[in-house]
Amino acid sequence: MAAKNYASSEGTRPVRKFADGQAAIPLLAAALAAFGVLMVYSAGSYVAETVYGDRFFFLKKQLAGFILGLAGMAAAAFFPYKKLKKCKWAALALSFAALALVFVPGLGQESYGATRWLRLGPVSLQPSEFAKYGFVLFAAAYAGEKPERMRTFAGMLPVLAAGAGVCALILLEPNMSVAMCVGLVMLVMLFLSGAKARHLLAVLLPVAAAVPLLIAVEPYRLRRLYAFLDPWASPQGEGYQLIQSFYALGNGGWLGVGLFRSRQKYRFLPFAESDFILAVIGEELGFVGILLLFAAMGALIYCGARTAARSRDLFGFLLAAGITAVYAVQTVLNALVVSGCIPPTGLPLPLISAGNTSLVITMVSMGILYNISRSPRPRRREQGGAP
Amino acid sequence: MGKNRAGGVSATVLRKRLSAVLLAVAFLFLVIFARFFYLQVAEGKALRARALDQWTREIPVVAERGRIFDRNGALLAGNLTSYTVFVRPNAVRDREETARVLAEIFSLDKETLEEKLASSRVSELTVVRRADAALVEALSARELPGVYYARDNTRTYPYGKLLCQTIGFTSSDNAGLTGIEKYYDKYLAGMDGEILYDTDLVGSELADGKAHYYPATDGLDVTLTVDAAIQTVAEQAMERAYAEYAPRSAQCVVLDPRDFSVLAMACIPSYDLNDVPRGDEDLNDLSRNRLVSDIYEPGSTFKIVTAAADIEEHLRGNPAAFSLTRRFASSRTRSVDGTTIRCWSTHADGKHANQTIAEALNNSCNPCFVDMALALGTETFYGYLAAFGFGKNTGIDFSGEAQGMLIPESAVRGCDLARIGFGQSLAVSALQLACAGAAAVNGGYYYRPRLVKKISSADGKISEEFPAELKNRTVGEEASRILASLLEGVVERGSGNKAYIEGYKVGGKTGTAQKFEGGALAAGKYVSSFLGFFPSDDPQYLALVIVDEPQGAYYGSVVAAPCAKEIFEGIIEVRGILPYE
Repeated sequence: MAAKNYASSEGTRPVRKFADGQAAIPLLAAALAAFGVLMVYSAGSYVAETVYGDRFFFLKKQLAGFILGLAGMAAAAFFPYKKLKKCKWAALALSFAALALVFVPGLGQESYGATRWLRLGPVSLQPSEFAKYGFVLFAAAYAGEKPERMRTFAGMLPVLAAGAGVCALILLEPNMSVAMCVGLVMLVMLFLSGAKARHLLAVLLPVAAAVPLLIAVEPYRLRRLYAFLDPWASPQGEGYQLIQSFYALGNGGWLGVGLFRSRQKYRFLPFAESDFILAVIGEELGFVGILLLFAAMGALIYCGARTAARSRDLFGFLLAAGITAVYAVQTVLNALVVSGCIPPTGLPLPLISAGNTSLVITMVSMGILYNISRSPRPRRREQGGAP
Repeated sequence: MGKNRAGGVSATVLRKRLSAVLLAVAFLFLVIFARFFYLQVAEGKALRARALDQWTREIPVVAERGRIFDRNGALLAGNLTSYTVFVRPNAVRDREETARVLAEIFSLDKETLEEKLASSRVSELTVVRRADAALVEALSARELPGVYYARDNTRTYPYGKLLCQTIGFTSSDNAGLTGIEKYYDKYLAGMDGEILYDTDLVGSELADGKAHYYPATDGLDVTLTVDAAIQTVAEQAMERAYAEYAPRSAQCVVLDPRDFSVLAMACIPSYDLNDVPRGDEDLNDLSRNRLVSDIYEPGSTFKIVTAAADIEEHLRGNPAAFSLTRRFASSRTRSVDGTTIRCWSTHADGKHANQTIAEALNNSCNPCFVDMALALGTETFYGYLAAFGFGKNTGIDFSGEAQGMLIPESAVRGCDLARIGFGQSLAVSALQLACAGAAAVNGGYYYRPRLVKKISSADGKISEEFPAELKNRTVGEEASRILASLLEGVVERGSGNKAYIEGYKVGGKTGTAQKFEGGALAAGKYVSSFLGFFPSDDPQYLALVIVDEPQGAYYGSVVAAPCAKEIFEGIIEVRGILPYE
């Protein structure tokens, strides 16, 4: 895969450099984010008008996030990702601190019975969005430093502990879906950093055993599970959200009802502009629109994986794979939720759903991903990295 | 990434692992595609159909109930156009403004209204009922979001009490409950339409939403055979009898014997259709059409049927039948099957001696009719009873018709047959007897009695017409003509002379029956009746008057015959009928 690219790595002019990397990554990310801004406006304008008295309320916020995200993506694209290696402890510490701060009265912001937001003056942030990447950076740097570490259980323990710690704090918010996300990303990271299969199993089995326990702890999770199995049994209760999502998708059909013409966004579908924006997209643009969107998202994931595959060092490999994994896991889980394949949980569709923390951080991560893809490759003789 | 990294796993393995993860993602994408395809394409239509309901709120478009007219087009039941104004608080944009406008137009208290709008948990709040069209028009010009109005169907009966038991009334939501309103409800009701507005979850209309209009189909008008003028005359006569004799009830039916269309059905006491005493214990007594639903022992008026059968049989050459000239035995009693049947008269004054059929009718002498019934025999006589419609429904277009009571032919004994001959041991509805009487004097034609002439739309287009419907023949033309002239004699010279009108050929027969209560004769309780018709040579009006338990006088000749006279005089005046000479 790498062989063809040796010649091109000679280029030094910026244009060459841009083309040298996977330019598709920032382009796709920006295009998806821009599409997200449009759909957030479409899906949220009615609720924005009735609740906030301004039909552009969500649009304005999302647009600000988009611009910020573009800037962040550009900055990250030109920031040598290898320098990030040094920040691994700082990133982990910051992640833990931010997650912990949520529980400090006055700083944490509660909504829908969970404290997931950190209020800092006029802005509120979602620490779990940072923490996902904090963990990915830490794991990549830790394994990248001494790859042999991952061959032993003791060696991979710090990665496990970091992942488990982040998961635990997010679970306390509580936010099971994001915790699940981080857990999945952690598994992918361990797997890709070369952990032995039996070590992975030793991690996986207790986690699998913990899931029923976690569900039993919060009764609402069990109700959601039932509702997911048969939403029509409680169309006004637990099954409501899923049914409304189905209505939106069903109304869309093959080609959709047309941009801005969703019927379900008129307050029937809760979280139409955020967690369930995919339903509105399906309604307005149809199954064909969904296919095209997934083609773009799939292409982005493929580019991320390709970047990982082509990177010259384990840190780059794992960082690229981790960033891609965070994106892919969220995308897949969100689509599975919206289409009723797994119980409903609150998880945004990255780059598309309303929510600035997620949008900005995802775009920054895409910038890093691009930076990894365009990093000058070592010559053949330099290959092999560590002696 | 290097191919060999000391200590770590080889890059090839890691790339393979990466490919495996990518493959897993690709697989999940396929699952997602399949699922979206299922929901959007395969199930799309079904899901959309289920969702349609929640996307709209409807405003009823109430169909106007069909009107009821008398045979000459006089409005008996119509509608008051009024409106109900209601608010869907969720759809209101500006509560203060809405309350202000509503309060201004309908003179309500603004503060109370605003308070209600703010605190109401119901999805729909009725603001005004029976609002005037003009006010509603003013309201509709303001285009207040969340404020709606729908037409009420307030039924109105311009004649009040007139024909109340026949017309019947409707429920508060305009379903016909009794009478014509019930029987013809499917024509009168029409079909409500609706306006569907695109709304959001809580019912606010969408600014760019569409309204889908499904118009109402108004009900059809019903034209009765009843003549309001004759009905008025009949009710006045019954009111007078009711006031004079304080009976339980006084009722009469007026038929056109030529086709059995009902010209009047009066039952006193009555009630005002515009103010139905709902919840009143007496409502059933007041609102029941006794003429159709109640049965009684007819007594002597039934002799018309026996005489008709005898005359017809005689004309057909039945030797057992009594001829017009044959004399009946003068005895006051007849002994049948060991029971003794007596005449109501003592026969002491000699009037009841050596009577012909004509005299027997004039005197209403019971033994003569016993003789006739027995002479004809069970089979023949029951054949006539069936032809005259006893023991079965007349088929009138009205709910709750009583069949009457007739001993089955197989079980009837001689003494029963003898009593039936003069109108005892059987029970009939007034309508049954009136129809039988009409079929006896009109040439022998039994039609299905009917109350409705036609059904038409508001623009006058006739949708259905109900012509006269001949059911069967009873007696021949000649027998009928003879019988009519004999009955004219009853009014001219016999017991019916209180129904006599100078210059008009009125025929008829009185009846006075003792009431049975609990299987025994009830002392002092009578049903006084008179069945009369005119002109007797071409009967066009037939009335059966029944006064149930009159106080003071009780003979049909005294109590009921004058009522028939009053009704006939009224008809003569209303219809401008000239005397025959």
